[in-house]
Amino acid sequence: MIDVDRLVKTYGRVRAVDDVSFSVPQGRVVALLGPNGAGKSTTIKAITGLLRPSAGHVRVGGFDLERAPLGAKALLGYVPDRPYLYQKLTGRELLRFLGRLRRVADAERKAEAWLAHFGLERSANELIETYSHGMRQKLTFAAALLHEPQALVIDEPMVGLDPRAAHDVRRLMRAAAEGGAAVLLTTHSMDVAEAVADSVLLLDRGRVRAMGTMTELRARVGRSDASLEAIFLQLTDQAADDRAAATARDGAAA
Amino acid sequence: MRLRGALNGLRQAPGRLAVGVALLAGVFVGVLTVTRRGVRFLDHYPGIGTIAGAVEQRSLEALFTVLMLAVAFSVLTSAVATLYGSQDLPFLLSLPVDPVRVFTLKVIETYVNSALLPAVFTVPVLVGVGIEKQAPAVFYLIALAALLALYALPVAFGAVAALLLMRVAPAGRAKEVATAASVALAAVLVLGMRALRPERLQHLTPAQFEQALTRFADLHVGWLPSAWGSAAVWGALQGRLSAAALVLAAVSAVALALVARLAAMAYRAGWFRSLDTQGRQGVVGVLPPARWERPIARLGPAGGVVVKDLRLLARDPSQWSQLLVLLALAGVYFISTASVGAEMQRFRDVVGALNLVFLGFLLAGVGIRTAFPLVSLEGEGLWLLRTGPVRARHIVAAKFWGALPPMVLLGGGLGVAVAGRLGVSPTLALATPVAGACAGLAVTGLGVGLGAAFPRFDAASPSEVPLSLGGLIYMALSLAYAVVTTLLFAYPAYRTLRQPGAFHWGSPLGLGLLAAVLLVTALWTLVPLAFGSARLARYESGIG
Repeated sequence: MIDVDRLVKTYGRVRAVDDVSFSVPQGRVVALLGPNGAGKSTTIKAITGLLRPSAGHVRVGGFDLERAPLGAKALLGYVPDRPYLYQKLTGRELLRFLGRLRRVADAERKAEAWLAHFGLERSANELIETYSHGMRQKLTFAAALLHEPQALVIDEPMVGLDPRAAHDVRRLMRAAAEGGAAVLLTTHSMDVAEAVADSVLLLDRGRVRAMGTMTELRARVGRSDASLEAIFLQLTDQAADDRAAATARDGAAA
Repeated sequence: MRLRGALNGLRQAPGRLAVGVALLAGVFVGVLTVTRRGVRFLDHYPGIGTIAGAVEQRSLEALFTVLMLAVAFSVLTSAVATLYGSQDLPFLLSLPVDPVRVFTLKVIETYVNSALLPAVFTVPVLVGVGIEKQAPAVFYLIALAALLALYALPVAFGAVAALLLMRVAPAGRAKEVATAASVALAAVLVLGMRALRPERLQHLTPAQFEQALTRFADLHVGWLPSAWGSAAVWGALQGRLSAAALVLAAVSAVALALVARLAAMAYRAGWFRSLDTQGRQGVVGVLPPARWERPIARLGPAGGVVVKDLRLLARDPSQWSQLLVLLALAGVYFISTASVGAEMQRFRDVVGALNLVFLGFLLAGVGIRTAFPLVSLEGEGLWLLRTGPVRARHIVAAKFWGALPPMVLLGGGLGVAVAGRLGVSPTLALATPVAGACAGLAVTGLGVGLGAAFPRFDAASPSEVPLSLGGLIYMALSLAYAVVTTLLFAYPAYRTLRQPGAFHWGSPLGLGLLAAVLLVTALWTLVPLAFGSARLARYESGIG
């Protein structure tokens, strides 16, 4: 459903994303992991159309984001890491606005259902500026799910959520995948990734370091009982060692 | 700390610093020159030698009063933001420092934010008076101190008003209420001053003028702080520290100290109050879409954007307060044009023809505050539109259709009103509303289009958005539009002056000129919209 093909994004001389390729099939949850500055958010923004790739392609449901952005975006739901919502709208008005923007059939009923799902129905007539961070996060999820997207892209989903809401969001991501959606999430929480994701993609310095299911990743690090956190640390340390060795080699050659 | 931050900012933008210094120097020299000429004029005006000093002193009082009012209007918003909403307040109050000291610094910050510009403007006036009156060196010291003390009073008044507002305004709405109150008061002041019609002074005979000056010289209201200020300055001209100067300094110091203490007390109370009211529940239950929004929403995604924008406009005083200023501007324009008393039809037509030019200029000024910031007002919420299945041109079109009706109504309405009030000839009676409506259309297209091409999504308020290259291009092109359409209207206007009763639009030439005006308007509207759409489509959000 989501196909990223040799994606490159440069900012001046910096290659934030360097030749990244992966796919998120329907009915699967893929966790995009990596240390700070790995290129996760840039990749996510390229997939959602907020950034234009310097090279490579992103396709959603077969629609190329550059050539057929409307078709691709109609299938996408997006939850950003810092969800800015119009402060002076109420929660209900925001969902109504997005229903109109996306031409959602029966939007009023669906909006009420999602408001109730996230326990926001009592505050739905309040301005968003009065919402707590967790309430905003829940409303952003409702906004992303309103049009029943076939591809869901979620950047840091658990920030600011209370334990109950975090639990609900985990179930929701799994439910979305079981309903046939492709779910791509980035997170720094290894527990969440391990609990929710079918497979993991590890980015470091804009490049893919590892990709596969937990079983495949454990085989790669040679520890059948390794947690995702241990795998993450081992692979990122290994990447840092490789870089240091390469720098030393370059220095010696010079 | 704040000063260091500002200096660092300036060091990083030397060009801006140079422009700022040059601008400041220009203002200083300009005000100084005007003041010196004014003082010289009054000192040498025949027949008022004995009251020249009193007239000058009253003039200074009037200037102080106006600038104090200006400070009082702006200080309300500034005080709410500084004394209550500063992001560094929780940090500063967590330090082992007396809260009164913290708030004393915050009061000084409020003073600098709201009174610095009026003070900078007043300094060359005092210097000009000092030079012309050959004042001793101590004059400049006392006058500067009196000036600083004088503006402290409206700052203290505004700060107290802001603290009271924090108590009575709905929680979290104090800043909005303060902004709205400031702008409404400023609009009333501007309208009120214009309604006095100072141009009437031009029609006075020398004897009447002298009589008016004498009356003005007698207008001494001793209890006003502005009178204390001018008395302090006039005393300093003789090199002495007057009682008025001492009273002014004492009252200002006490007022500022009291305000700092009050602010320290009120902050704590206000903080708890805001916590108490955070979770207040409003109307519970499903509120259906309002009746007014249903027909607009049927227009599809663009209609949805228009409905959303109208709701945000109604709820955000930083947006709708701009409209108050613009209405005041339109009012000033109408009063000014309507006050032209002309007996002859030909003279009325000359004014009507000039009005064709000025309408374009007026609407250009309105458009930069209303149409230009529209796309930028999406701010950080742009991601909701950019990740949705809507093209950039649909976003730009939605903004255009949202802004168009008020702009065309303003342009066309002012055209009808001014033409009717002046009683111009039939040719101009048609040309004026057409020129106004067309200018409304072109300025909206230009503003929305260039605003989309040069967005500032990080601007803190709509008034910041036009401070960019795009704003400059907008002003140049909107003024060019006014010039081009004026040239097109020039021939019919000329014919009207020759034959006031005739109707020139029915001729092939008249129809051709009307068509040309419409063509130019279409060009000025559509090209910027297309340019803005293309640029917005290529816009990339910040690096994540």
